Amino acid sequence: MRKAITLLSLSTTLLWAGGGEGPADFIIGHVKDSYDWHITDIPWGKNPDGSPHYIPIAIPLPRIIYHPKNGLSVFFVKGHTPSEIQQELQTRGFTLTPEGKIAAADCQPIYDLSFTKTALQLLIVGILLLWIGRSAAKAYQSSPVPRGIARWVEPVVLFVRDEVARPMLHHHAERFLPYLLTLFFFIWLSNLFGLTPLNSNIMGNITLTFFLALVTFILVQVNGTKSYWQHIFWYPGMPIPLKIFLMPLEIIGVFTKPFALMMRLFANIFAGHLMMLSVIGLIFILASVFQSVVAGLGVAIFSVALGLFVIALEMLVAALQAYIFTMLTAVFLGSALEESH
Amino acid sequence: MWLQASNTIHYLGAALGAGLAAIGAGIGIGTLASSAMQGIARQPSAAGDIRANMILMAAFVEGVALIAEVVAILVVFLK
Repeated sequence: MRKAITLLSLSTTLLWAGGGEGPADFIIGHVKDSYDWHITDIPWGKNPDGSPHYIPIAIPLPRIIYHPKNGLSVFFVKGHTPSEIQQELQTRGFTLTPEGKIAAADCQPIYDLSFTKTALQLLIVGILLLWIGRSAAKAYQSSPVPRGIARWVEPVVLFVRDEVARPMLHHHAERFLPYLLTLFFFIWLSNLFGLTPLNSNIMGNITLTFFLALVTFILVQVNGTKSYWQHIFWYPGMPIPLKIFLMPLEIIGVFTKPFALMMRLFANIFAGHLMMLSVIGLIFILASVFQSVVAGLGVAIFSVALGLFVIALEMLVAALQAYIFTMLTAVFLGSALEESH
Repeated sequence: MWLQASNTIHYLGAALGAGLAAIGAGIGIGTLASSAMQGIARQPSAAGDIRANMILMAAFVEGVALIAEVVAILVVFLK
């Protein structure tokens, strides 16, 4: 037992050995939201002490912080290391917490409204979606036969309408089709954008999936018919003790449905990105464990093959999760809209 | 010994949790797929509908397992 635990601690210390930016830090840096969109580093010359110098390819994003007393402050931070960032923040009356968040130097509560990496990527996906939708719609104005991008969009729109909206929502389908289509295309495109090597992890951000699930939750509650609420608070056709017993369960069910929706999308994309990066990170971990480039190259053959498999799987998951989110939204809406029979 | 190991023991917990979640998801998806295959064998004309529902149900099972995997990851990174 002691041997096993020693081995375990040895392997974990090796994992974190070397300090600085290890594979684990890189992976966490990728899945977390950040104040700059850091795409890659390019080695460029040498530092005065002989170590290689890297030029980051990154898009700096503004930090927008609201302080109840000092008002709104918008500024860019140029530094990269925590100590540089700390120095710059201190000149503006803020401080960096150990978790990497910003706090006020005078301990007042502040509101961090920064335009982060995910926000920018969200905007890019939104503009892309708007362009795809507009140009597809325009293609139908000149002729009923789809041309250009509409050829790719039409089958997906028809799929969502015929396989998701109509079987679940019946005669309400047309009313909710715009929302379902927006969900499907937005989630799908965001997931595909996350598979490009641009350091993007949009749907692997629980805040975003929370708000998507919240919209579905509000839509379901607002459109709930009398029969829907009756099934929650006073289940028809049951003896009274069972009605009382079912009420709390049904009320919990109202909240667990969107919660599961949020967690499923987040966990799938988050875990996919982690899996992808861990497989590639294995190359660097083993190269540093055995202190040899050959070990790294040997693992690289398997890692890259496995990585290719994982990314192919992720492309399937990207569409599948979009389908499932849309499908479940339609199922919940359908059950809420059902009239009593 | 346990005190000595207490700073790394959470890795063991996370790994066990991830493994157990994989077992659960494996049983779930295995049962689901076997029933779906039986259904298709009995009623080949309904293969399309059965497949679509199977994928949907597999996503439910997988979703629960992935929540467990995320918890395990958080245990490792945010100890």
